Amino acid sequence: MAEVRLVDIEKKYGSFLAVPKQSLTIHDGEFLVLLGPSGCGKTTTMRMIAGLEDITSGDIMIREERINDKPPKDRDIAMVFQNYGLYPHMTVRQNIEYPLKLRGIAKAARTKRVQETADKVELGALLDRRPSELSGGQRQRVALARAIVRTPSIFLMDEPLSNLDAKLRVTMRAELKHLHHELGVTTVYVTHDQMEAMTLATRVAVMREGRIVQLDTPKKIYAEPADLFVAGFIGSPSMNLIDGKVSDGVFRADGVNVPVDLPNRDGVVLGIRPEELEITDDATAPIGGQLYALELTGESTLVTLRNGPVSACARGHADFEAEINSPCYLTPKPGARFHLFDRASGERLDGVKH
Amino acid sequence: MRKPFLYLAERALLVLISVVVLFPIAWMFLTAFKQPRDAYSLSLNFEPTLQNFVTVFSDPWNLGSMVLNSVVVATVTVVIAVPCAALAAYSFSRFRVKGRKFLFFLILSTQFIPAVVIVLPFFLMFRQLDLLDTRIALIIVNLAIVTPFVIWMIKGFIDAIPTDSEEAAMIDGASRLRVIKDIVMPMAAPGILTSSIFCFILTWNEFLFALILSRRDAVTLPVGLVSFRTERGDLWELMSAAGVMITVPIFIMALFIQKHFTRGMTAGAVK
Ligand SMILES: Nc1ncnc2c1ncn2[C@@H]1O[C@H](COP(=O)(O)OP(=O)(O)O)[C@@H](O)[C@H]1O
Ligand SMILES: [Mg+2]
Repeated sequence: MAEVRLVDIEKKYGSFLAVPKQSLTIHDGEFLVLLGPSGCGKTTTMRMIAGLEDITSGDIMIREERINDKPPKDRDIAMVFQNYGLYPHMTVRQNIEYPLKLRGIAKAARTKRVQETADKVELGALLDRRPSELSGGQRQRVALARAIVRTPSIFLMDEPLSNLDAKLRVTMRAELKHLHHELGVTTVYVTHDQMEAMTLATRVAVMREGRIVQLDTPKKIYAEPADLFVAGFIGSPSMNLIDGKVSDGVFRADGVNVPVDLPNRDGVVLGIRPEELEITDDATAPIGGQLYALELTGESTLVTLRNGPVSACARGHADFEAEINSPCYLTPKPGARFHLFDRASGERLDGVKH
Repeated sequence: MRKPFLYLAERALLVLISVVVLFPIAWMFLTAFKQPRDAYSLSLNFEPTLQNFVTVFSDPWNLGSMVLNSVVVATVTVVIAVPCAALAAYSFSRFRVKGRKFLFFLILSTQFIPAVVIVLPFFLMFRQLDLLDTRIALIIVNLAIVTPFVIWMIKGFIDAIPTDSEEAAMIDGASRLRVIKDIVMPMAAPGILTSSIFCFILTWNEFLFALILSRRDAVTLPVGLVSFRTERGDLWELMSAAGVMITVPIFIMALFIQKHFTRGMTAGAVK
């Protein structure tokens, strides 16, 4: 187990700045998720920690030791690659055994360890197969088994679930979470799937264009997104973001009137989560318009209303029914929270500092 | 369904090409078993004999020592060239060193130089070193000829291997050399085997340098063939018998390549 510190690290590919100068501390034993859209530098950041990519400037410290110049094999890490990186010419057993073999562990101990690990990820019966004879989920387990077979100080996982089908992804997610709980190894996990990030993480680092824009617990990130980008990225369905302006202490847009504590200004975005809105018959509700769509998701119905350019979605009761285009009103549930952002800079306006 | 006419035309063309390609080979195989008087006849009606093979292996032709020379030169060349080329190919494929492309081009460009142009300087060099008419000289020259080609060929195979597995091995605790030994070489094995056989064939058939650099002791099979053109005329039946001796090993290897090549292609990497 170990703490990892990235100090003023920066990565350039030629003249292209993939990761601008920034610092990040990953606490001992935590599950840190790097979350962001594709191409935002998550893999690059992880590969720098692994030692697969040179750092343009800055330092990487593991347990307070500077490891910039250490080759990957001396960093005591294990990694699960997006495409698994299995050894196609070796059997599952040989794949899992390889890290132990490289560390000069005796044959008998290796065999025992491989069997235990394989059983843990339910691969016990497949040990003599080749990777090409396995399904995606099974390959993913081999990659995982190979990583956990020798209890490293740090786990690195690069979108390990992205090649799996939706159902398997959910199962494997729970397994990963359980595994982390059991082993307590510091883990850095890369994903572009906000749901994965929210469910797995101790803390989430939301990245955009190489920069970490918010680093906090999933709860905090959900409740207080640092800016417009995070607000729109986290949550499913995503937060309602309504363009409007503030005058006389009221945020105004078509059919929207919400009292806010801001001086008069234009270019304001009001945000509220669909699950914090409820449907009402009260024509004086803060958000009003015509019913645009009803989508039953099973446990609830997503109700979307429109009013000119304004569109807002609420998570309503599964039994809710109404005519499309009929008038529809939304009101915040008790304890709900409106978020205010500056349209141009994306910054938060309502004083929550991060 | 395809048009029957096109189908027939295609078959006819294939047969024609096959005949043109195969006739000289068939002629050689037949002549090798003919008596001298039948050598020029096209008739298949002749009395087969093994006498030609006995003759070429005895005085004054002594094909045996040429076979040995060819085997030694080709084998040693392969044994040295392929491992060196494999390491060079790996480096060209994986290390992003400045000037890498230029260097690679430079190595390949040696292949564009016509051999006739450089055969004399080689002759002078080996005379200076007192290596004329030795197998060592032939091995050195052949190494110079085949290594760039083999580097290029193996690089193609290594380029096709995804780096994922290599990086995984490095994280699992392998050094770069260990990665090459445990991961890259096994995965590139079909390609390396194919390259080795190509390398062997090139060396086995090399004629010009062997002709100029050998006289008596180091003569190889292709050069030996020329000695059947005597003042008494061309001894086609003996030349054919020797030709069969040259061709058969290559023929067997070609079959082997074909088997391995397809296997190498279908083995594939794991996604
Ligand atoms: N080897 C490379 N050379 C040049 N640019 C690269 C290289 N690897 C990644 N990049 C660029 O760096 C950026 C970040 O890439 P990456 O870290 O792979 O993103 P992510 O994993 O978040 O999808 C992308 O714009 C990508 O095009
Ligand atoms: Mg990535």
